Amino acid sequence: MKNILIRLAKRIVAGIVMVLVVASFTFFLVRMMPGNPVSAKYNELIMRGMTPVQAMDAVRVMYGFIPHQPLWQQYLHYIGQILHLNLGRSISYEGVPVLHIILNAAPWTIILVTTGLIASFIVGVLAGVIAAVKRSSPVGSAITLSGSIMHGIPQFVMGLFLAYVFTTIWALLPFGAPYNAALTPGFNGPFIMSLIRHAILPVATYALSSYGGWLLTMKSSVISVLGDDFILASEVRGIKASTRLRYIAHNAILPLFTIFALSIGFMFGGSLFIEDIFDYPGLGNLLLHAIDSRDYPLMSGAFLLITVAVIVANIVADFLYSVVDPRIRR
Amino acid sequence: MSANSLPTAPPAAGITIRGLEVVYTTGQGQIPAVNGINLDIVGGQITGIIGESGSGKSTLAMAMMNAVPHPGKIVKGSVIIDGVGNMMTLDKESQRRARGRHVGFVFQAAQNSLNPLTRIGHQVLDLGRSHNVKDLRALLRRAKELLERMGMDADRVLTSYQHELSGGMRQRVGIMFALVLDAQIVILDEPTTALDMLSQASVLEIVRSIQEERGLTIILITHDMGVVADLADRVIVMYGGELAEEGKTEDVLAHPQHPYTRGLIRAIPRISGNLDQAVALAGSPPDLQTFVQNACLFYDRCPERMAQCQNHRPPYEIAGPGRKVACFKVMAK
Ligand SMILES: Nc1ncnc2c1ncn2[C@@H]1O[C@H](COP(=O)(O)OP(=O)(O)OP(=O)(O)O)[C@@H](O)[C@H]1O
Ligand code: SF4
Ligand SMILES: [Mg+2]
Repeated sequence: MKNILIRLAKRIVAGIVMVLVVASFTFFLVRMMPGNPVSAKYNELIMRGMTPVQAMDAVRVMYGFIPHQPLWQQYLHYIGQILHLNLGRSISYEGVPVLHIILNAAPWTIILVTTGLIASFIVGVLAGVIAAVKRSSPVGSAITLSGSIMHGIPQFVMGLFLAYVFTTIWALLPFGAPYNAALTPGFNGPFIMSLIRHAILPVATYALSSYGGWLLTMKSSVISVLGDDFILASEVRGIKASTRLRYIAHNAILPLFTIFALSIGFMFGGSLFIEDIFDYPGLGNLLLHAIDSRDYPLMSGAFLLITVAVIVANIVADFLYSVVDPRIRR
Repeated sequence: MSANSLPTAPPAAGITIRGLEVVYTTGQGQIPAVNGINLDIVGGQITGIIGESGSGKSTLAMAMMNAVPHPGKIVKGSVIIDGVGNMMTLDKESQRRARGRHVGFVFQAAQNSLNPLTRIGHQVLDLGRSHNVKDLRALLRRAKELLERMGMDADRVLTSYQHELSGGMRQRVGIMFALVLDAQIVILDEPTTALDMLSQASVLEIVRSIQEERGLTIILITHDMGVVADLADRVIVMYGGELAEEGKTEDVLAHPQHPYTRGLIRAIPRISGNLDQAVALAGSPPDLQTFVQNACLFYDRCPERMAQCQNHRPPYEIAGPGRKVACFKVMAK
């Protein structure tokens, strides 16, 4: 247990360093952008009639650093702001703190991706086990084929297809927007129903396009475990079929654990197309909007959040793995 | 005899093998790893099986349990285990119950025979539950006793995961699994390969004493002639998926008749005594080409071959009391 904690501490320190590296990278990237957006903004404000002092203050608040200062001072100021969780203010949403915008968008993505991820993981893994065990029968081949097809279809194609079928051909489900704007948001039945109905298609898109990956990975993992000596040994010892299945599933699912945790980390990038198609106000859409409107503070804030999520997921994956696999524990 | 005499113990279970054929389908072709074997394993005795690497010993052993792994397939024959029935025609569930319960098996890769994610003790319990053992505590006690007799710290082993044990320890754990359910028949495929001399001795000692205590039927596959000489009542010699010779251990080792058996024994310093006198068996084991020809399988390597041997396979025939040999030369004598 002590070793696990030491390991964990090391990973956390490494993670913090990573975050700072990425933050520094975005800092310099924004500074190096063609046309230097910082001085561009500064000049723009002066043109609008601000005094240089006012303009400088405004820019400092937006980007978290002061133009015309020496680069290293700007840099230190910027890092200091980040450590205080101050990510600057948005340009496109005049003056709204970036952190505030991000925190508003995050739940949409988190709910969308987690639901889709869990659903596809459960169904995909179960189907993968069946596909592996029955791999020489038509049922097994059909399941594998379903996985390959789903895996091959790009996410945005899947999204457009579902949208077309369920909102145009059969108008069963609403299209676009996260809920019916006519309803009052809050904890009331109609609103919650509307939330759910609007979430079905985005979640289904995410789930269907990750299902194939889980299925195929689990299938090959199970097949490789089936070839292990200890499975043959359990057969010659007359171990019950249900117990053997437990041995197989337990051994085969381990590698998928890591992938699962990492997918959670990549969720903010992973639902970009879906949020765009279904007009879902999550982080993917936010990032697209920031890029569209050249809102650099918002962009670097979003990047930073993605980095943090990936790193945290990595640490969690590593930790989980050492809990479930006695060979890593030491 | 006392008045309340116990019912006489049932005769120990033997195995009757008839016309057994196992084929591995590979990229190169069909390998007849067990080729039409007829064999009676005598109950209550230790039978040693020897033969070169690749001669089909492990495949024969797996086939006795009807558990030949892919890509192998039993294409013909029957294996009748006393008290169980024909393993080839029994329903799946009865086969499963026979494995482990009636026939204990330590297979060659015994070092990797454990689930890496579960403690050894739990796997003993899984075994017990699979065979409806009522008293699981007694089962654990039995496991402990066996482990201790093989010179291990039983409590530590039972709470360990496989990766925490050495190769030799794992091998002995594998042997414990084969013995813990008190199977009547125990098949050991090279049980001592990963062991140092001392552990080897302790393992062989436990095999011998348990056999004596319970009158078990033991099949022992090994390359070690010394082990065969020490332990086995009978010896079977395999070559190219067929039987070359069998008989009482003393007879076979002291007076080997088949030229292959003689070559095998001469190749082993431990029996002939002197390393300088060990003579490697010339030539290479039979290949796919040899199998399709109608000659004696040993023809290419046989120092005593005759014209007849090139056009016919020698039949496996009685060559004395309890003795069988497959060789024209021997039969002509
Ligand atoms: N999984 C397999 N796939 C293909 N051929 C195999 C397989 N297992 C065994 N064989 C072939 O079957 C034949 C018999 O193999 P087997 O393992 O029974 O020999 P063995 O006598 O036990 O040898 P050893 O003393 O090395 O353990 C060999 O020719 C081998 O190449
Ligand atoms: S049958 Fe002929 S070739 Fe075969 S072992 Fe006997 S003497 Fe040698
Ligand atoms: Mg072998």
